[in-house]
Amino acid sequence: MTELKNLKNEWKAIMSCMGCGDCGYSIRRAVGRYLTCPVKEAKGEEGFEIYFSRGRMNVLKSVLEGKLPLSRELAEFVYQCTECANCTEVCHETHNENIILNTSKWIDHYKVWDALRKDLVEAGFAPLDRHKDLVDYMNNDAMKNPYGEDFAKKYEWTSDFSNIKDKGDLVFFAGCTMPLRQQDTLKNMMNILIAAGMEMALSKEEWCCGSIGARIGEYKSVEKLMKHNIDIFKNMGAKTVFTGCAGCYRTLKKDYPEILGEELPFEVKHITEVLVDLLNNNQIPFKSEEGEKLKVTYHDPCHLGRHMDLYEIPRELIAKNSWC
Amino acid sequence: MTEIYKKLENIVTKKFISNSLIVRHAYSRVVDPLLQGIPDIVIRPKDAKEISEILKVANEENIPVVPRGGGDDEFGGSKPIGDGGIVLDMKRMNNIVNLDEDNLIVTVEAGISWGKLNEYLCHFDLYTGCMGPGSGMTASVGGGISHQSVGGGGCAKYGSCTNQLVSLEVVLPNGDIIETGSQANKYSQVPFNRFGNGPDLAGLFCGDNGILGVKTKISLQVFPRPPYAAYKTFVLPRKDREVSSQIMLDVRRKGIDVYDLMYIMGIIVLLGSEFGMMPMWEHLKKNRGIIFYTVEANSEAELEEKVKQLDEIIVNNKCDPIGPEISDGNIAKWHYAEQGHWQFYHNLWGVVPALEPLSCECFVPANMYPKYLNEIDQWDMAHSEDLNKFTKITGQRPVSGSGPIFLIDGNNVELTCGFTSFPSYYNGEIHEEFDEINLRLWKSYMEMVTKWGAQWYMMGQMASQMMAELEAYLPDYYKTLKAIKKTLDPKCILSRGKFNFWGD
Repeated sequence: MTELKNLKNEWKAIMSCMGCGDCGYSIRRAVGRYLTCPVKEAKGEEGFEIYFSRGRMNVLKSVLEGKLPLSRELAEFVYQCTECANCTEVCHETHNENIILNTSKWIDHYKVWDALRKDLVEAGFAPLDRHKDLVDYMNNDAMKNPYGEDFAKKYEWTSDFSNIKDKGDLVFFAGCTMPLRQQDTLKNMMNILIAAGMEMALSKEEWCCGSIGARIGEYKSVEKLMKHNIDIFKNMGAKTVFTGCAGCYRTLKKDYPEILGEELPFEVKHITEVLVDLLNNNQIPFKSEEGEKLKVTYHDPCHLGRHMDLYEIPRELIAKNSWC
Repeated sequence: MTEIYKKLENIVTKKFISNSLIVRHAYSRVVDPLLQGIPDIVIRPKDAKEISEILKVANEENIPVVPRGGGDDEFGGSKPIGDGGIVLDMKRMNNIVNLDEDNLIVTVEAGISWGKLNEYLCHFDLYTGCMGPGSGMTASVGGGISHQSVGGGGCAKYGSCTNQLVSLEVVLPNGDIIETGSQANKYSQVPFNRFGNGPDLAGLFCGDNGILGVKTKISLQVFPRPPYAAYKTFVLPRKDREVSSQIMLDVRRKGIDVYDLMYIMGIIVLLGSEFGMMPMWEHLKKNRGIIFYTVEANSEAELEEKVKQLDEIIVNNKCDPIGPEISDGNIAKWHYAEQGHWQFYHNLWGVVPALEPLSCECFVPANMYPKYLNEIDQWDMAHSEDLNKFTKITGQRPVSGSGPIFLIDGNNVELTCGFTSFPSYYNGEIHEEFDEINLRLWKSYMEMVTKWGAQWYMMGQMASQMMAELEAYLPDYYKTLKAIKKTLDPKCILSRGKFNFWGD
C-alpha cells in the first residue's frame, strides 16, 4: 500500500461525501441546473458511476480504508475526468448565502482529484503513456511545450510585434496554446493592447507554465519549469505578469505559490483584468459606436471561473463595451 | 465466473457490463457511511427484455441481483448485502416513453430521475404532484415506487409517490414480464387506471424494496401545476413539538389541501445557526422550532382564502411569522421556489467533516411524534457513553434527533429521525470501533422506532432485517410475505437477504 499522503490531506472531502449523486444525475430547474458531469454525459449510456464524482468518492473511501490499492486501472478511470469542477458547482449549489450546506466548506472535488493524481504519480501508476508524452515534450529542451512543437515556433508570431520590449514592469506570458494553436486570437489581442498604448515586455525564453504537468500530478517536473519562469520574470523586472490563457493563469497564480511554498515577487493577472482596467481608463480607442450591436456569448473557462472564481470581471468587460 | 460473465455480456454487449474492481467499488455503497457490499458484476441494461434475460441467467447460476436506481437510499437498499452478486444499474433506462396529455398520464422508464421527469413536465405546465423522495432531483422514479417515497415536496397534498401510480411493467425474478392495472388487459390502448381487472397487483410491488420484481416501465398520473402558490415560515412557541403536531392536526381537521407542512426541531435551528449552516435563522430566538407551509391555488382569491385559514390556525397556536424572503428565514420559499431539498435533512449532516447520517426514516401518526421525539432524547441520554466515545477522537459528539417532520397523506408524518455519526476512517486513522459502535447504536435506535409501531418505507437491508429479527411482523403476515417471495423468487435472486429472505 502506498503512502497516500496527498489523498489523506483530502480526507475531509472524501469522507464528507454522502453519496447523494447530485454530481452525476441531478436536474434542478429552479436554479438552472441541467448538466452535471460532462464526462458522464459524453459517455452516454456507457456512463458507469466511476465516470463521475460519487463513484470515484466511493472508490476513494475504499482506498483510504485500505480495502482497495491504487492501481493503473484506477488511473485509467481517474484521468478521464476533465477537472472542470462542475461536480463541485452542483454539490455546493444547494446552498446560498442563507442556507449553507457545510460540506461545501470541505468538499472541493478538483482538489481531491489533484491529490489522487499526485499519489498515482508517486506510486508509479501515472502518468499514463499518452500523458507521459506531454510531460516529455514539456520538459524537452528543444520544445518546452506540451504540443511537441519546436521551441522557436512559439515565437514566430512576434515577428509582427517588433515593438514589444525585453524588460519592463508589465510582462506578458504567452504560454503555449495561443502562440501554437490560436495565433489569430493572440495577434488580435496584442493589437488591442498596443492600440491602447500599453507598454509590455515579453521573454523569448519562457517555458510552458507547467499546467499540463500539474493537472497530471507530475509535480516534480513542474517545479523546474516554475523556477525557470519565475527567474525569467524577476530578471525582466516584472511587477505584473499577465496571460491570455485561463490554464496558465490558474497555474501561475495558484499552483506556483502553492507548490513552491512561497509568495510570488510579482502580481499575476488575466487578460480580462488588464482589459477592464484599460476600459475604465478610456484607453481603448473604439472607432465608432454606430451599426448593429453585437450579441456576445461568453463561456467561462473552467480554470478561470470554477478554479479561480474570476466570474465578474469578464462580464464587466463585456458590459462596458458600447458595441455589445 | 468468467463463463457467467460471458453469458451476461452476450445479453447487454460488453460496453454495458463490468467486473472491474474499481467499478465494483463505485457501486458498493449508498448514503449511509457504514454498510458496504462489493458486487461481482455491474450491468447497465437497456430494457425489460435484457433484464429478463439477465434474471434467467442469475436463476440458472443462483446469483443474487440488486436493482439500483439513483443509489440514494439510506439503509443499504441498492448495494449487495454482503459481497458478490450483480448490481443492475437502472440509470441507463431514463427515457420518457409517452405523455398522454388528454388523460394526464406519463409513462417513463424506471431509471429516470424525478428531477428529469419534472423538468420535462413543466414544459406542459404539469408536475408529478408528490415530487418523489427528498433526493428527488437525482433519485429514480423506480426507486421511489419501490420505497413508497416522500420528501421531495407535495406529499401533504398528494401523499406518497405511489399514490399516483397507474400501471407498472415489472420483470419478475424468473424473467417473466408483466403489466399491471389497465395494462393487464391486452386490448387496453393506453394506461389509464391502476385498480380493477382483479387485485391491485401494482400495489404488491409498491414499497417492495426491490424484492419481488424489477420495475422497468412506470405510468404515473400527472397534474396541472396550479399557477398560484404561497409559502410561509413561522417560529413556534415553547413546547414546539406539541404545538407543531397540533397545527398539523388542525390543518387536517379544517380540510385545507396544504401542499407541504413541515416542522423543524428547535435543536436543529439552534445548532444549524451555531454551525453556520442556517445564516437566515441567526436573528431568531434560539432553541425555538420552525414550522413552514406551502399552499397552491388556481386563483388569487382561492390562495388568499387558504392562506387566511392556514395563518389563522398557526397564529392561534401562538406562532410568530417570519418575513417573506429567504433572507428573512423563510425556508418555505427556498424549498418550493428554489427546489431546495434534502441536504438540510438528516440532523445536520456535514456540519463538521465526515458527519454522515444513520437514518431511521419512517411514518408515524401526526399526534404521536412529540412523544417519540421525547423518547429520542431519552435514547440519546441512555447511549451517551457510546456517543461520547466519538468526541474524544473527533471533537464532536454525534447528533441524534430528527430532521424535518412533515405531513404526508392522512394524518401521518414522515419522521426523518436517526443520528449523524462518524465513519471508521477519520483523519488518517482507522477506528474500527466506530463501525462497531455505529452499528450497535443504529440497531438500537431502529429497535426503538420499530417498537413505536412506526411504519418503515425505505427499508433496505437494515430496516427489513430488523423487522424480521425483532419478530415485529405478525407471524401470519411474515409467513404470507415469505410465501409470496418464495413463489415469485424461489432462489431468492432479487435483493437476497432483505427481510432475512435467503435463497435455497
